[in-house]
Amino acid sequence: MDVILAAVGDAFTWQALLAIVIGTWAGIIIGGLPGLGSVVGLTIFLPFTFGMDVITSMALLIGVYCGSVYGGSITAILINTPGTPQSAATTFDGYPMTQQGRVDEALGWATFASFFGGVLSCVLLIFCAPQLAKFAVNFGSIEVFALVCLAMLCIVGISRGSLLKGLVCGMMGFFFSMVGSDPITGADRFTFGTYALSSGLDLIPVVVGAFALSEVFVRFSSRDEEATTIPEARLRFPGLRDIGRRLIELVRGSFIGSFVGALPGTGAAAAAFISYAAAQKLSPRRANLGKGEPDGIIASESSNNAVTGSAFIPTLALGIPGDVVTAMMMGAMVIHGITPGVRLMQDQAQTVYALFVVLIIVNVAMLVLSKPSIGLFRYLFKLPLGFVMGGIVMFSFIGAVSVRGNPLDLVVAALTGILAYVLRRGGYPLAPLVIGMVLGPALESSLRRGLLISRGDFLSFFTHSGIATTLFVLIGLFLIWTVTAGVLEWRARAATRRKAASAQPVSE
Amino acid sequence: MKSLRYSLAALALIGTTHAAMAADNLEIIVPFAAGGATDIVARSFEPTFSQQLGVTSVVRNVAGASATVGTAEVANSEGNPNIIGYEPAGALSIQPSLKKLPYGPDSFTYICRTVSNPMFLMVSKSSDITSFKQLVEESQDQPFLYGSSGPGTLPHLAMAATVVNSDLKAEHVPYSGSGPAMNALAGNEIQIMADTETILENYDLRPLAVFADHRVEGYDDVPTIEELGLPALDFSVWQGVVAPKGISDERAKQYAEACKATVESDKFKTFADKAKANIAYLGPDDFKAFVQKRFEANKQVLEDAGLTQ
Amino acid sequence: MLATLIHPRVLTALALLVAGAGLSITAWQGPESAMLVPRIVLTIWCVMALAILVGELIRQAPRQRTAKAPRARSPLPLLMAAVLIAAVATASLGFLIPVLPLVALTLWLFRIRRPLPLVLGTIVIGGGLWFLFHHVLMIRLPALLTNGVI
Repeated sequence: MDVILAAVGDAFTWQALLAIVIGTWAGIIIGGLPGLGSVVGLTIFLPFTFGMDVITSMALLIGVYCGSVYGGSITAILINTPGTPQSAATTFDGYPMTQQGRVDEALGWATFASFFGGVLSCVLLIFCAPQLAKFAVNFGSIEVFALVCLAMLCIVGISRGSLLKGLVCGMMGFFFSMVGSDPITGADRFTFGTYALSSGLDLIPVVVGAFALSEVFVRFSSRDEEATTIPEARLRFPGLRDIGRRLIELVRGSFIGSFVGALPGTGAAAAAFISYAAAQKLSPRRANLGKGEPDGIIASESSNNAVTGSAFIPTLALGIPGDVVTAMMMGAMVIHGITPGVRLMQDQAQTVYALFVVLIIVNVAMLVLSKPSIGLFRYLFKLPLGFVMGGIVMFSFIGAVSVRGNPLDLVVAALTGILAYVLRRGGYPLAPLVIGMVLGPALESSLRRGLLISRGDFLSFFTHSGIATTLFVLIGLFLIWTVTAGVLEWRARAATRRKAASAQPVSE
Repeated sequence: MKSLRYSLAALALIGTTHAAMAADNLEIIVPFAAGGATDIVARSFEPTFSQQLGVTSVVRNVAGASATVGTAEVANSEGNPNIIGYEPAGALSIQPSLKKLPYGPDSFTYICRTVSNPMFLMVSKSSDITSFKQLVEESQDQPFLYGSSGPGTLPHLAMAATVVNSDLKAEHVPYSGSGPAMNALAGNEIQIMADTETILENYDLRPLAVFADHRVEGYDDVPTIEELGLPALDFSVWQGVVAPKGISDERAKQYAEACKATVESDKFKTFADKAKANIAYLGPDDFKAFVQKRFEANKQVLEDAGLTQ
Repeated sequence: MLATLIHPRVLTALALLVAGAGLSITAWQGPESAMLVPRIVLTIWCVMALAILVGELIRQAPRQRTAKAPRARSPLPLLMAAVLIAAVATASLGFLIPVLPLVALTLWLFRIRRPLPLVLGTIVIGGGLWFLFHHVLMIRLPALLTNGVI
């Protein structure tokens, strides 16, 4: 108990609080600007942390991280361009709501869901970190393979419009992720002999091209129509009754996010898609999903912000960073002489608890700072469309090139932008492209690692462990359910059509 | 608390001072993303180093393709006196033999080696294996699996060399970094891993041997590979500073002196202590010879294990 | 018949199929271990693209008659080309120089044509953001000169 009180004292120093405010606010802005995301935000602030003490520097970085994951939703809702890949799923319902003039409500739900997800995952982190970490260790390659298979199956149905077109885009994203060095043998794939391609295609430039640049092109080709004006954004928090009605959605999204975030090799973008897929199957208002239903925003935003808390579970409990962002945080801790690992909880309990407290304060700060941040975006988007689009092009370029410092990534972003425009005009959904790129590598490397471990015996995957068997059974049930439901629906539709045809004889 | 204020003031000031001193501007390329293990050492190295040189410097992260993209950027800047690279072992001494790259070990002006940590062969503490001999015996019925932080990395090479030179039966499973590999070791998906002291200390692991020519301080009961009856295998994770070819001898000498002073500075020593990086300075000529030697040795390992293309 | 074929939706589907097929050929030439998953992925791609192509052809055929709205030539390809050229040029010219004309062109095409807003917008959005990131925040963007000033 003394340790916890001391930890609270560590977190409530004025410099830590100031760092939280600055970090969170900057994070929201950076996350909201298309092209710039969590990685760029942390890269900007990392050098400033060298002169600070541990808690202050972590407060700054955690603020930037959580803020940027939330901030991505603002532009996703306002202009259909996710500020970060993590918020790609927020566009599904956020932008339709904006088009219907319900932008205030959409922003309110996104903000509240982010806060809810963030806090719930903090609570989980505080009480269940060791247990969750132990559980995550049991997730070996084969279990991860089963989980990703299940996730991908659920997600197949996510795309609005044609299933075939969604699938082909998913395969394209999967293919993008395979360019460059093969993760198992190290051989170059699809580089066509050019050295520049051997580093592969990074997710950020592709997302920048597929969403930000293609949005500029789309708005350009329809710049005379009314749809191009960006509505004034205000923030209206949902009332208590509304929250009560959708509480189960909030809790489900947060739990999915917390769980996915604790596993190694996944991340917030994957969590948001998985959570959205779950809402599509389980929400009582699922028929409206994709047409401007707050449940969709809740599913995406509560889960991606829940990842911010639970991503620290493997990092703090095992010293295993789950993604690039937590790896950067781990680096910042090492600089201050704290090496995350199995003994961190025992040796440095006070610091660890102080970090938990900081995480909670950051989420509160996010809620408070959402209003001024959205105000800033409202002001920015009031500028003539040309300036907004010029800014988006510029930020896209900066974001694409600064992730890895490789000018080739700019060309990738530009080409993806043109490709994405053509695809959008042809009625292809772009979200599966991102999903394929996010989940593809996890699927491929876990499959091939699993084959190495089982010495080439794929059948033994099914009996590898209790977790794996359970997941594969779930996959089987899901497949049966989908096929039966599909057949039933098709029959019902055919029946009504026949009825309609017989009732109305053809007159022409 | 002062530090935060200073940092914020610095945020405002950096722009102006930077523009004023722009002519003497040194770029330090780190071939990994910001926040990685090499990046942290480079960023602690940078302030003292640039102070010694009397220039303003910027760390630029150019990540990708097992650190070769950033390294190639240094090699391609021939004659540029304002760029250096803070390089990991793999990009200089392994990757050139693995694939076709726009550089080789001869493409650089070598400045210094900064840190070097010997690697250990280790198993999980939860396993009942306590010696290398026992490990070899138990591997006869069913081969073990060893992890690595990726194909063609030092942990991979060290284990590949061990397997080639001993009766140990083990197969390789690559992961996307030391972290995920540790996760797999904790879950008993793999049984063996070769890595440095940092990894050994942070996870519950048991060292069985050290890949060095003498026993390591603090691990006096851990035998070297040679003592176990194998040919001497020397694998360590090191980092060093290189400049492009074609810079003046005078500039190279400046770099070398600045590097030596930085590595010997208290600030860097304190950091290295905290981050468990073992300072192991080598001057320009020694470093060049060292890289050449490691390059040849690694190439031999890759050929023996059938990993070259 | 030809008119059906050159409809953009059909062309997109056709292009997807050709690209998938081309990549599949590469994938079947590579080593078994590394190309296992790509082969599966690209096969699904090709099958899907073929199905889409057939679907588009069936859907397009009866609709052939609908007269195309006479549309003025849009300068969109110009904007796309400008983005691509600027992206390619960055590797050799640094970040600032290709980006300034790109921003200016974007503003112009989005109807910001009075000289003062155009020039100011270009300088603030193009030059200002570049300065902020390159010099103030020290996030190094590609540079033209070896000392990194521009």
